[in-house]
Amino acid sequence: MRRRNGLWALAVMVMLLATLAGCGNDEESRSAAGGRSELVYASTKDIRDINPHLYGGEMAAQGMVFEPLVINTDTGVSPWLAESWDISDDGRVYTFHLRKGVRFSDGEPFNAEAVKMNMDAIMANRIRHAWLDMINEIERNEVVDEHTYRLILKRPYYPTLIELGLLRPFRFISPRCFVDGQTRNGVSGLVGTGPWILAEHKDNQYALFTANPDYWGEKPRVHAVRWKVMPDHQSIILALQKGEIDLIFGADGDMLNLDTFAALKREGTFQTAISRPVASRAILLNAHQPFTREREVRLALQYAVNKRGIAEGVLNDSETVADTLMASSVQYCDIPLEKRSYDPARAAALLDAAGWKRERDGWRYKNGEKAAVRLYYNANNAQERTISEYIQADLKKIGVEMRIIGEEKQTFLDRQKTGDFELQYSLSWGTPYDPQSYLSSWRIPAHGDYQAQTGMERKAWLDEEITRLMTEPDEARRRAMYRDILTYVHDEGVYIPLTYSRTKAVYARRLKGVEFGLSQYEIPFEKMHF
Amino acid sequence: MGMLTYVLSRLAGLIPVLLAVSFVSFLLIQLSPGDPAEVVIRVNALTPTPELLAETRTQLGLDKPFLARYLHWLTHALQGDLGTRHIDGKPVAEEMARALPPTLLLAGTAAVVILLCSIPAALISAFFEGSLPDVVLRTLLFVSTSFPTFWAGLLLLWLFSVHWDLLPLSGLEEPRSLILPSITLALPYISTYTRLLRGSLLEAKQQNFVLYEKTCGLRVTTILRHIFRNSLQTSLTGLGMSLPRLIAGTFVVECLFAWPGLGRLCVSAIFNRDLPVIQAYILLMGILFALFKAFMEICAALADPRMRDRGKK
Repeated sequence: MRRRNGLWALAVMVMLLATLAGCGNDEESRSAAGGRSELVYASTKDIRDINPHLYGGEMAAQGMVFEPLVINTDTGVSPWLAESWDISDDGRVYTFHLRKGVRFSDGEPFNAEAVKMNMDAIMANRIRHAWLDMINEIERNEVVDEHTYRLILKRPYYPTLIELGLLRPFRFISPRCFVDGQTRNGVSGLVGTGPWILAEHKDNQYALFTANPDYWGEKPRVHAVRWKVMPDHQSIILALQKGEIDLIFGADGDMLNLDTFAALKREGTFQTAISRPVASRAILLNAHQPFTREREVRLALQYAVNKRGIAEGVLNDSETVADTLMASSVQYCDIPLEKRSYDPARAAALLDAAGWKRERDGWRYKNGEKAAVRLYYNANNAQERTISEYIQADLKKIGVEMRIIGEEKQTFLDRQKTGDFELQYSLSWGTPYDPQSYLSSWRIPAHGDYQAQTGMERKAWLDEEITRLMTEPDEARRRAMYRDILTYVHDEGVYIPLTYSRTKAVYARRLKGVEFGLSQYEIPFEKMHF
Repeated sequence: MGMLTYVLSRLAGLIPVLLAVSFVSFLLIQLSPGDPAEVVIRVNALTPTPELLAETRTQLGLDKPFLARYLHWLTHALQGDLGTRHIDGKPVAEEMARALPPTLLLAGTAAVVILLCSIPAALISAFFEGSLPDVVLRTLLFVSTSFPTFWAGLLLLWLFSVHWDLLPLSGLEEPRSLILPSITLALPYISTYTRLLRGSLLEAKQQNFVLYEKTCGLRVTTILRHIFRNSLQTSLTGLGMSLPRLIAGTFVVECLFAWPGLGRLCVSAIFNRDLPVIQAYILLMGILFALFKAFMEICAALADPRMRDRGKK
């Protein structure tokens, strides 16, 4: 009896193993058959709603399907759906000559009428584009003829072309997708002129983009891109090891933390790539709080932070140390500014001179007040916590106590608005938003930058100068204005520039053509191939 | 009291409970910090200008008093309308309905795995009490319970999916995708049920009827069957009550295995502060717990008439 039971158990186990092994073989044969034509990209985030005129979707996915009139490149603004353009002498009228023969992937022609319809829909939703100065500068727009479109501004707003080339909102969706002539309340389809067509989207599972067979430009080299949603970072790495995915791509630790990136790079099983610096990572010093109100104190904190230590120790040397808020490679930002390298002795001397004397307990005091600051960060970002701890140790060396407080994202943003902080993280938006959109955001009271700058003597001038700058038609004068603004902010020491962040990619050896776009938010899938 | 009357009174008793659940889930969301209108704006990467804030407040009905909002929400919820997601404006009820079946499938399979593993383990452990198989099994179960779920899941993924390449890694694309997530979800429960069942088996073994049956010369298998049936009730009630816990506890497993279920829907809603989804999730879980409790009580009353009369004393 017992023996018979044992045999049964054995038989069941053999069957189970055979089934599992059989399945495994299936998998192998599937991947071995023929060349790969589908690129699998893993992301922790779903593409969500990629309506190009709204902000709910993943920018990289929006950029795959929808295209702009012009694009931002390393060498400046280049033609895209507009072959060329003329700008009137007063800088207010932009006439675009559209590329002929371009169609949306549903067959609708791309012409001046479609452009105007899109622009009108965007402007009808002006309230949602408040961050973009250009929206308020558009006076009207008109169709000149089928392939000529004209945009008339109220004032000669200089970043017009740059902002027309952004990933959103000035991109074009097929007129057939409009609902009641609008796009703000949702669209009936997601059809663009781009190299990819959104063929299938299973919410929070995957999105399948197939190559647009009628694309007007250089066609993608793989047939499809599968955007796979995997919320767990470790599972993504395992999937890469298994060969289920081909590419991990992302900025600021959202897809790849730096330790993992460094480990994968060392291991050498996969290819890794790192972009040139794309955005600025800095600590905001609030000039509106008692301790950090004094300029000497802010300067002392600048010298106290060991940026090289952070770049090497925390960021695994994957980011370059920042001496100025904006990298000198950013347009208009090549300005000779005093470099403030790590110098604890100088920091201590500055604090002494400001009257903050070290007492027996090791901390500094002035009029009985302790030198203490609070640094707030978004609790979801593990990297920011480690950087904070590094800074905490640096400040302790000069006798300044720092408390680190991780907060839930909304609370963190609420705090930005109220200005109730001494130190806070700040990350610029990167090219092509830097410097104009970033500087422009300094004037919005809901931003931490605004609150931190409020304590500066010439804050009113700064805001006015930024406003003037946006419509300054003369290039040389504009350059001079940027110099004045950035020099003033640098002299005031309201930012401790830390590093310039970079976009990272890890990908299977079989994948070729992995490059970075100009912005950290786009992924040039169309150049990739096996 | 007749069985039907008991069932009806038990179901009627659910109404105030469910109303309370709905009120608490609504209240909790209202008490969360931050301005909900601003949350909606920020989650869509927009700048909260005063005009946009005012427009959003009106859209969300935030300009109305609390009770009016609750009643509005409740009457709509009763008709199956749980509002729309902040992130993309899709109806919450539709999204929940889409995510519920994968979670039920996962939790149901995990429950089967728990039964398949814990019953034989408890039987072996109880009938060979103190012997080597008992000690080995209990040690194994102790170790498996001590694994944090995410770690156990990662280990299983690495071993079965990457190293041996036997099973798919993530998603719900084929039936085999179910194996690893359900085992990971079941792991911490297996030990609990084995111990529960083992305890009641040992207890039943000591009872008079066993001795009586032995002296009557009944076959060992018959006696075993009787012991097993007598000890099953406690653990089945325990398992029944754990089903809603299994459904509510899929967060980690669903994220790890990219499982398109409720847990993930809720996690992403939490990260995006998509309040209508979180609210609906709390409501659904409250309802599930209340329903399962009522169901288990009715089952127990069916099995043991004394339970029905308990309330009368």
